[in-house]
Amino acid sequence: MAEVSTAAKQVLTSGVKPIWCPGCGDYSVQAGIMKALTDLGIERENVLIVSGIGCSSSMPHPFSTFGVHSLHGRLLPVAAGAKLANDELTVIGAGGDGDGYGIGVGHLVHNARRNVDITYVVMNNEIYGLTTGQTSPTSLFGAKTKSTPFGSIENPENPIGIALAAGATYVARAFSGDPMHMAQMIKMGIQHKGFSIIDVFSPCVTFNHTNTYDWFRQRVYKLEQAGHDATSISAAMAKSLETEATNWEKIPIGLFYRVEKPTYSALDMTLQKGPLVKQPFPTKQQVMDILEEYK
Amino acid sequence: MASVSVRIAGAHGDGVESSGALLIKVAARTGMHVFAYRGYGSIIRGGHCWYQVRLGSSELKSYGEGIDILIALNQESISNQKSRLRDNAVVIYDPSKIKVEELDGKGYRLVPIPLLDIAIAASGDPIMRNTVALGAVLKLIGINIEAFREVIKGQFGRKGDVVVEQNMKAVSGGYDHQGVQTLYSIEGDGKKRYALDGNTALSIGAYAAGCKFYAAYPMTPASTILHWFASHEDKGVMPKQVEDELAAINMAIGASSAGVRAMCGTSGGGFSLMVEGLGLAAMIETPLVVVESQRSGPSTGVTTKTEQGDILFAMHASQGEFPRIVVAPRSVKESFKVAAEAFNLSDRYQVPVIIMMDLYLSEHVETVEVLGVDGVSVDRGKLVTENKEEGRFKRYLVTEDGVSPRSVPGHKGMEFVAGSDEHNELGDLVTDMYAGLDWAIEVRKQMHSKRMRKIDTMLKNETVFVPEIFNETADHFLVTFGSTTEAAMEAVGILNSQGMNFGLVSFSYLMPLDKEKTRKMLEGKKLINVEGNYTGQLAQVIRMNTGIDITQSILKYDGEAFTGELIAKEVVTLVK
Repeated sequence: MAEVSTAAKQVLTSGVKPIWCPGCGDYSVQAGIMKALTDLGIERENVLIVSGIGCSSSMPHPFSTFGVHSLHGRLLPVAAGAKLANDELTVIGAGGDGDGYGIGVGHLVHNARRNVDITYVVMNNEIYGLTTGQTSPTSLFGAKTKSTPFGSIENPENPIGIALAAGATYVARAFSGDPMHMAQMIKMGIQHKGFSIIDVFSPCVTFNHTNTYDWFRQRVYKLEQAGHDATSISAAMAKSLETEATNWEKIPIGLFYRVEKPTYSALDMTLQKGPLVKQPFPTKQQVMDILEEYK
Repeated sequence: MASVSVRIAGAHGDGVESSGALLIKVAARTGMHVFAYRGYGSIIRGGHCWYQVRLGSSELKSYGEGIDILIALNQESISNQKSRLRDNAVVIYDPSKIKVEELDGKGYRLVPIPLLDIAIAASGDPIMRNTVALGAVLKLIGINIEAFREVIKGQFGRKGDVVVEQNMKAVSGGYDHQGVQTLYSIEGDGKKRYALDGNTALSIGAYAAGCKFYAAYPMTPASTILHWFASHEDKGVMPKQVEDELAAINMAIGASSAGVRAMCGTSGGGFSLMVEGLGLAAMIETPLVVVESQRSGPSTGVTTKTEQGDILFAMHASQGEFPRIVVAPRSVKESFKVAAEAFNLSDRYQVPVIIMMDLYLSEHVETVEVLGVDGVSVDRGKLVTENKEEGRFKRYLVTEDGVSPRSVPGHKGMEFVAGSDEHNELGDLVTDMYAGLDWAIEVRKQMHSKRMRKIDTMLKNETVFVPEIFNETADHFLVTFGSTTEAAMEAVGILNSQGMNFGLVSFSYLMPLDKEKTRKMLEGKKLINVEGNYTGQLAQVIRMNTGIDITQSILKYDGEAFTGELIAKEVVTLVK
């Protein structure tokens, strides 16, 4: 687990227990988010953690920050709406592979291209856990699950490639078995101005007996140590394709791509006047002035 | 004559809509009352479309049955519109393009004008033929040509005097054309009224109430709300066109949960996608205003035609039980008021408010003298920034009135998680690992009844949840909701002028309803429900709430709007 001082932990902890099984990779993600927020010294009242549905949706509850535990697949629009309403908030989306790469994948594409300044952490366990083990959009070809007892005949999605193609300005991948590295990826994601996605391999110890901690440990390597140029979109795209090309023998983790681009808020006309939530309501005269158009 | 209905007809791309809009503006400037509606298809060029502009010297309640003056811009306009021509109707057309033999011997006043030649001579632009025809209309109804100059100057002033002069030449060509003379005397009272459609009035009402965020996916007939917010972005609002209606409602919920007054809007198809989000707003008790502008369904239906077929759907959309407010504004003016009120109601009770517009109300234009800006006030309900209790903030505190204090991010000590799962007062879930435990069962009961209690609170505190009755001592009553009300009111006038004694009961708020007051109002009366749907959805709502069964009804589901004349005619056959 990522190390956080006890005092800081208390400030950010609500005391509510998440629903995860013992050994679940999501505990590391919780610790990673907590470490990132603590390191960055962000006040808890200015943090909003938004989740969807699934095991990952438990994420906001152990935190003493603001949170919305929303609907399956819809965490990104909720998070984006909140960010646009109050640009001063640190908004973190915490979802799963079913939630974000399955039912809600459309929102990933569109919020990435909008470059809304939110940090999206996806706990990717290649399985549907809370519904007791069906195939997921990232389950491997041939994966035997409750809904594919004879093996999946669908190819797994490439979320890194999708995020890159959609225009995400910070694309990283981490592994729950390497919590310090993950906390760093999340922290950099929060610091990044724009849409950040961190795909986290977060093993499901109950329903996924293929993509285990050990399985990942044997395959992952760090892009930072492999001379990857994270400023190059083509290099990033090539790396995103490596997993499938090597039949999942080599799985890069770390920062795939980062680019500085104006965020949605920076370009939005209305937000030039400050956070939406702090802008005054119109006066009667302002309404009457608008009405003049219709005379 | 109390009113004149002018119908401009042609193909999409002929400038029918802009000509209608111009006539509305000129007439409204002279102090005439205007009621206008347009018929069009889902096509950009070609096909057939029309814009009917009814002008009167007193208040109008429908666009009028029948045509007094027809501007026919193509041959199809003659064959398509001839059945609607009134006796003695005037038909303006260009004899070089249009044959009118099929109108021979019917007593119509045919006014052939070389529209195209005059337009070309005036400006070189063939589209200006509409302006030539408008000139003839101005003369026919006695509007001074200078009123036209004033409007054109306002519209094209910046483009320079050349355009204004071209327009004036074109309009004079029709105005002064031989044989064109004033036939109708509609007197304007000189008062400048607002001329606007329901969606515009609704948008301005929302703006006045401080709605800063509007999310939508384009869909007729709700799109013009998005256009309104987009064109007023410089006035401090954020319009957001998103990838689908799932995003629209959930983004609005996100914005609202961060403290901004937020709205999303769509038609029935998009509302179908929003249904799950509606339940989320209700469960996390986040204020939300949703606009549903109905059109002919089911499915894609008749995309550009009106219907009142979605009210039962809106009242029951999304799984489980939760309090909500469903309201159908009854006029352009009321669209403003309802929208402005919706945000207060939604904040006060932390419930979703669904505003049921329809294509007819969204798109028809009325002149309105006072919109009611002075009546707009802001009440954010139990929005708090400070936790007065020890420990974590109880966002879902169980209260007698069912409404809990609400906080938004940015305020220390007010943190909580808004959960779509059932939760306790703190917002912590009581599902998952606690489901079935005795205390969790008790919390579920408490929280569900807390939310549902808000219905009683609303009914106790608000006066809007009863229908309105007109002419209480009448023998018969028409019963309507939403946009049908004005036409029904017009029908009551027609029927009573024929010696009958009719009244009207009309619903704006449909949910919740004060059952007792509604029952008392309707009990023992002879009722005829008039609705724009097949199954009589309002009658079903009334039966469900009061046990009163309305046995006579006038139902319309052909996509066209009601008029007073049409309703009156149907009523006469019913009560005979």
